[in-house]
Amino acid sequence: MIQVLIAEDDKLCRTILEKNLRKWGYEIISTKDGKEAWKVIQEKNIQIAILDWIMPKMDGVELCKKIRGQKWDGYIYLIMLTVRSKQIDIRKGFAAGVDDYITKPFDTHELKARLQTGKRIIGLQNQLLDSQKMLQEIATHDTLTNLLNRYEILNVLTDEFHRSLRENKPVSTVMLDIDFFKKINDSYGHDVGDEVLVEVASRLTGTLRRYDKVGRYGGDEFLAILPGCDLRNAKRIAERLRRAVCKDRIHTEAGQLYVTISVGCASSESQSHKSIEYLVKFSDKAMYHAKNMGRNCVIAS
Amino acid sequence: MMNNESSPGNSPIDYPSALARIGDDESFLAELLDLYKMDFETKIGGLQNAIDQENFVSIQELGHGLKGSSANLSLPFLLKAALDMESAGRDKNLDKARGALSTLGQEFQNLQEFLSAKG
Repeated sequence: MIQVLIAEDDKLCRTILEKNLRKWGYEIISTKDGKEAWKVIQEKNIQIAILDWIMPKMDGVELCKKIRGQKWDGYIYLIMLTVRSKQIDIRKGFAAGVDDYITKPFDTHELKARLQTGKRIIGLQNQLLDSQKMLQEIATHDTLTNLLNRYEILNVLTDEFHRSLRENKPVSTVMLDIDFFKKINDSYGHDVGDEVLVEVASRLTGTLRRYDKVGRYGGDEFLAILPGCDLRNAKRIAERLRRAVCKDRIHTEAGQLYVTISVGCASSESQSHKSIEYLVKFSDKAMYHAKNMGRNCVIAS
Repeated sequence: MMNNESSPGNSPIDYPSALARIGDDESFLAELLDLYKMDFETKIGGLQNAIDQENFVSIQELGHGLKGSSANLSLPFLLKAALDMESAGRDKNLDKARGALSTLGQEFQNLQEFLSAKG
C-alpha cells in the first residue's frame, strides 16, 4: 500500500484529504506543519507527499528543497497544494523540486487523478530500482553458486585489506580448489560438475564465520577472506573447510561422490604478504603446494 | 444584510459546487460545515485580538486560513470577507481589517441561519 504524507495546517482541508485518500486505499500520515512533516519523512517510508505551500514552522517550498537535498531509498513524489496560481509561483515550486501541484480549493476528482499519476511514477521508479538491484546482483554474484564472483570477492579483499591496515589487525586469505574436478566433469558430465560446485559452495558458506566472505574465484577455485584472522587461526578455519567438504559424500544425479579440496592460506601479518596481490599469490601458491603434497590437505604460506 | 434565498447568486453556500468538490457526499459536507463553524469561532477570536494588538502578520495569516476553508466549502461571501482580511493584514490597514471582521461576523450569521432554515 502506498504511504502518503499530508502536510496541511488547515484542519478542514486536512479532513477532506484524509477522508478521500483513505477511501481511495492510501495509507496516510497527517501532519500540521512543515517541521513535523520533515520528521515523518525522515522516519517513515513515504512515497507521495501532499504539501501545503503556506504552513507554520516550515513552508512547503522549504520542505521540498530539504527533501530534494537528501538521498532516499526510493523516490518521493511531491504534490504542492496552493492557492497561488501565478506563473512565477508555479515556477518557484517546480524549481524547489515539486512534481505536481494542485490549486486550492481543489476538486477531489482532479486530486484522485493527480495521485494516480504519482502512483504510476512511483511504480516505474520501483521497477527501475528492482532492475538496478538485479543488475547489481548479476554483476557481483556467480549465477551458479550464488557466491560473490571474482570481481566482487577481490573488492571485498581490497576493503578488508585497507581496514586491516587502519585497525592494525591481520586479514587472511584462503584459496581452495576441488581435487580432480576435471575428472568429475569428464566422467559424469558438466551437470554433475555443477551440482558438485553448488554443494561445495554451500558447505563453505555454512562453515565460515558470519563476517567471513567467500567467492568463486575461477572454474573450481574459491577464495575466502577472513578479516581479523592471523595465520594460525586461518589454518584452523581452512582445515574446518576441508573437513566440511570431504566429510559427507555429495548427492548428484550420477550418484554419491566423494569430493575433496586442496587448501592454501596466507595472512597479511607476514611482512612479505603486505599487499593484496601478494596475499592472493601466496595463498594460491600454498594451494598448489597442497596439491603437490597429495591433495586433500591444508598448507599455510 | 440577510439573505436566505437559495439561488446560487445569493446563497451563502454554493451547494452543488461544494458537493461536487467532495464527491457528492452530503453527510461529509455536513461534517465539514460543523468543523468550519468551530474553526471560525476560534479564528474570529484570534482576529479580534490581532486587530486590538495591531498584529498585522497574524491578521494576514488568520485571514489566509479562513480564505482557504471558505473556498473549500464554496462560501462565496465569507471567502470575499476573508480575502479582504488577508489583504488588510498585508497592507497594514487597520480600518479595512475592522470592516472585514464585521463582514465576516455578518456573513457567518447568514450562513448559520441559512443552514438551520435548510434543516
